[in-house]
Amino acid sequence: MQKTRFERAEEGGLRIHVLPTDRFKTYAVSMYIGSPLTEETVTPHALIPFVLRRGNRAYTETKAFREKLDELYGAGFGFDIYKRANNQIVQFRMDTIADRYTGAAEDADLLRETLTFLLQTVGDPALENNGFLNKYVDAEKVTVHKRLEAIINDKARYAAERCTQEMFANDAFRFNALGRMDAIEKLEARTLYESYLSWISRAQIDLYVVGDTNLSKVLEIVKPLWKQKHAEKMVYQFGDERYASRQEVNEVIERLDVNQGKLNMGLRVPIYYPDEIYPAAMMYNGILGSYPHSKLFINVREKASLAYYASSRLDGYKGMLMIQSGIEIANYKQAVEIIKEQLNAIADEQISDLEMDQTKAMMTNQLNEVNDSAFEIIALDFNAVLTGTERTVESIISAISKVTKPQIADIAQQVKLDTIYFLRDRKGEKSE
Amino acid sequence: MKPISYPRVNEQLFSETLPNGLEVRILPKEGFTKTYAVFSTRFGSIDNHFRMGDGSDVRVPDGIAHFLEHKMFEEREGDVFQKFAAKGASANAFTSFDRTAYLFSATDHIEENVMTLLDFVQNPYFTDENVEKEKGIIGQEIQMYGDLPDWRVYYGLIEAMYQNHPIHIDIAGTVESISKIDKETLYSCYHTFYHPGNMALFIVGGVEPQQLMAQIRANQATKTFPPYTPVDRFYPDEPSEIREKMKVTQLTVSLPKCLFGFKENLKGTLSPEQMIKQELTSRVLFDMLFSPSSTLYQTLYEENLISDQFGSDYQVSSTYAYSMIGGDTRDPDLLIERTRALLADFSKNGFISTDFERCRRKRIGGYLRLFNSPEAIANEYTKYRFKQIDFFEFLSIYESLTLEDVRKRFDDHFDWTQLAVSIVRSPS
Repeated sequence: MQKTRFERAEEGGLRIHVLPTDRFKTYAVSMYIGSPLTEETVTPHALIPFVLRRGNRAYTETKAFREKLDELYGAGFGFDIYKRANNQIVQFRMDTIADRYTGAAEDADLLRETLTFLLQTVGDPALENNGFLNKYVDAEKVTVHKRLEAIINDKARYAAERCTQEMFANDAFRFNALGRMDAIEKLEARTLYESYLSWISRAQIDLYVVGDTNLSKVLEIVKPLWKQKHAEKMVYQFGDERYASRQEVNEVIERLDVNQGKLNMGLRVPIYYPDEIYPAAMMYNGILGSYPHSKLFINVREKASLAYYASSRLDGYKGMLMIQSGIEIANYKQAVEIIKEQLNAIADEQISDLEMDQTKAMMTNQLNEVNDSAFEIIALDFNAVLTGTERTVESIISAISKVTKPQIADIAQQVKLDTIYFLRDRKGEKSE
Repeated sequence: MKPISYPRVNEQLFSETLPNGLEVRILPKEGFTKTYAVFSTRFGSIDNHFRMGDGSDVRVPDGIAHFLEHKMFEEREGDVFQKFAAKGASANAFTSFDRTAYLFSATDHIEENVMTLLDFVQNPYFTDENVEKEKGIIGQEIQMYGDLPDWRVYYGLIEAMYQNHPIHIDIAGTVESISKIDKETLYSCYHTFYHPGNMALFIVGGVEPQQLMAQIRANQATKTFPPYTPVDRFYPDEPSEIREKMKVTQLTVSLPKCLFGFKENLKGTLSPEQMIKQELTSRVLFDMLFSPSSTLYQTLYEENLISDQFGSDYQVSSTYAYSMIGGDTRDPDLLIERTRALLADFSKNGFISTDFERCRRKRIGGYLRLFNSPEAIANEYTKYRFKQIDFFEFLSIYESLTLEDVRKRFDDHFDWTQLAVSIVRSPS
């Protein structure tokens, strides 16, 4: 196995991370732009990448912009917006075929073209009258609005979103990373451009390149292109998330036209990615619900035959764990009971040697697989940048191998059920 | 066992057909940690009427291929997931129209995991009790899909197009149809379709091919199977006409979802070469017509008739072929009307050589990118192998296409009498 080692530099406020390797048939490029998640800025910051992807100064019209991507052998181009604790992160991605596979001319340089395209798109947008183009801002406002409205289409996702809102009712974390629907209307081309300027100068920006290249080549390409003013940079916020817990579990039942009930249980886990004991929290989540051998799958699905899916997901940035299952509506109480029994079982250290071995083997495997995907290698390294705690594939595997049952039971005792959210049908609904 | 070299994609494929008929393919990926293995049978949701080994003609309940897939994971000793988990392998399976695939990915204990994969799929264990229990789980899976608007609009279109062909039956069946499944029907299907001669094993990743192949040979040599005779499958005559012009499903959605497409009028059987040329030509054509760099896309987006999730797809097999176009829209009727007008413009002015070259180049890039993904290589290779098509030869097919091929494809495909529409909208 090739060792993965990033070469790093900083250029004009841009942190650059390059991993030279010839294992992949592409150049994978990622740019992370992070800022604090706040009620005021979450919506403009979410809208900005939508407007940027409509055109840059070199390719002002969207059709020409998209044609350029086709010419780069259909370079993958996209962006995601998500939350990591109370930070809002915009991630642009590009994925371009390595020159040796295209059969193109000798002097072809797809990495240069890719980086040029990305840096121009993020740093040199299409403008008119000292602002973004009106037509792009207007259209993309509609697009973001539609995206937020569409959350309800996927009922499992909707239930997870609603459970999160309930858990963090007084915390900016309740906002969707795409912003607030009621704050979209008032955004306009001029003021959004001002938001952009302040965002791009203060945000933490990390550029990753994985492929058949090296740091000096990337620096040579980036230097003349990246001319952003940079003010004092914000730092990623991982404040004290140890919020007061509730006295009683918050139970929320909502009704919509659904065939299947969607059950979400939100738990607070006061253990975070930088904590030394964090690998035990990962093991806790694995034993509980990440795999087909986990307690939730075995007991809710295989033994009780109540569900097709029953799983858990740990968020080590925010200190929460979300359990989700799709069930027959009449089985709500029984499913909650079975899930609570599993939570209690782990707290009582009812964990078999087999469960320990299987979970360690599965997590080790998942971690080793990271090295086969350029974007996963990037994502793991970015966690270190984000949290200030470096964890490599090797170090996490080693830490997991040492986790003991009492440590997992200890985590389980700190975990606290916060909210039970159940989305059910309208049958038997009381009329108003 | 000699490897076949594919210099254009820089890959080497080791192939062997074992004495019992099983096709084995191994693709070593240098520098990769992970190995992905998929064991597939040519048995999918459309295979619901066939001749069994004893010569009798049988019709099986809808959803049985998928039900069988679920039940294979159970062994006398317990759940196979447990066995994979102990060796750090993530296992899974899926059922499509024409195949069932069992798979795992792992970074360690590869040979043992491959043996587990072969052994569990070749060792059915069905009891009245475990079959009954599965009905609750699959019932919930069916309910889950019933709540997914994207699935409903997709399936709605296939239902609108096909009158008799079993492709119009949901892969999982219905709660009612699976209630008729018992262990006897499962065993009948198993013995008909899970013969090694009807199956293929594809392994890709950081493996040593010769040694692994020897292990597979030895594993298969310990098992006995009757001689293989290809399965006779019966498909009803499918009229060239669509079933209904429009199918509307009610479900809570933020905006109506609209997919529309053209049912291909298959005149006679296509050879594998014709089939793949038709598919790849259609894909280049559809990029020219519907991708984000097309005039149609940008125009409809400006008119707020489509969202950025708008897309298109084209599927062809020996017994069905259709296109699928659409996404979320404020006005399905207007979307189709405008598409029709823009396609008419395109037929006059759209066949421009530079646009064709650009879209072909995009397709080639997309194809090459798949080779970063062991999962994609294994599943795509098997999917096409079952149609007698070599997935590793697509590059030269793309390169052989001409603007004239694309123009002809356009004229053949867009027959407006063959249009079907599927809409999901909120109850009023």
